[in-house]
Amino acid sequence: MTKLSPVKLAFGTVGLAVGIVGVLALREATLSTHEAVDARQVELVVDARSAGGEPSQTLAEMVEAHLLTCRLEVTSDLAGPIESLGDGRFRAVFEPAMDETNRRQFRGCVEDFIVDHLQINVLELNDLD
Amino acid sequence: MRTIAWLAGVGTLLAGVFYMVVSLNRWEWNRALFFGLIVLIAEIALATGLVLRRLSRLEHNLKGPADADVVQILRETRPTRDRFAWMRESSGQLNVFITFLVGGGVLLSGIAWIVDRVASKTSSPAGEERLARQLYPISYPAGGLLLDDITVLAQDVPGADDRQIRQLLRRGGRP
Repeated sequence: MTKLSPVKLAFGTVGLAVGIVGVLALREATLSTHEAVDARQVELVVDARSAGGEPSQTLAEMVEAHLLTCRLEVTSDLAGPIESLGDGRFRAVFEPAMDETNRRQFRGCVEDFIVDHLQINVLELNDLD
Repeated sequence: MRTIAWLAGVGTLLAGVFYMVVSLNRWEWNRALFFGLIVLIAEIALATGLVLRRLSRLEHNLKGPADADVVQILRETRPTRDRFAWMRESSGQLNVFITFLVGGGVLLSGIAWIVDRVASKTSSPAGEERLARQLYPISYPAGGLLLDDITVLAQDVPGADDRQIRQLLRRGGRP
């Protein structure tokens, strides 16, 4: 059996430790832990851009489809129509409010690749009342 | 050029891993899958490059001159080939050909015995009764066929003995 040098052993140990810590941290970050929240609603403001999409589809339609898809991943629903604030910005209100896990999951879905040719950035995601 | 290619591969791998972890941390599953695919592609490319590099090193080492002493030893220890040694008669060991011959004979005899046993079971009293019932529609009528007198008298002529006509006569009640 080949004898390991102390340097290689040290590098291996550090690498193993970093890997274990990284996996544990990722596990913690992606773990669903739901809790009760005081707020009743949550407000979402996004900045949407589209490039190369179908000419007959408007940006508002694409944003609506994207948000309706993402609200299926959390326990909240749209509490009203999606408002266009101009310059590619949209505002929507969801009810009930989201806890921390739902908020992260919803933000991740909104900024993910869901609808082709559409890129959305979350500008605000705040509790209302 | 080769160094640039290696750096590009390693850079792609590290960047892909970084963004994959970031995407997972942000709950962006589709992005994470996309970057995971990039990582997989870079990993396969790097692994293929490493294998090819190792193979090229081996080929490079094989192109050098051979050691004369080793070649001499290999030539001296080369085994002699006698492809028909099994045909040579030997009293101390059994010939593999005879073994196969005898074994094949035993095997064929066994198969023939089994076939014979199975064939003997195909004829049973119940089967014979069923065959008789099946033959009944084509059997001769009980009263015999109509035979004219000329045919009957012809049987009395010496040398005109017909077995089938005599059978018909017996069925018709004639001697």
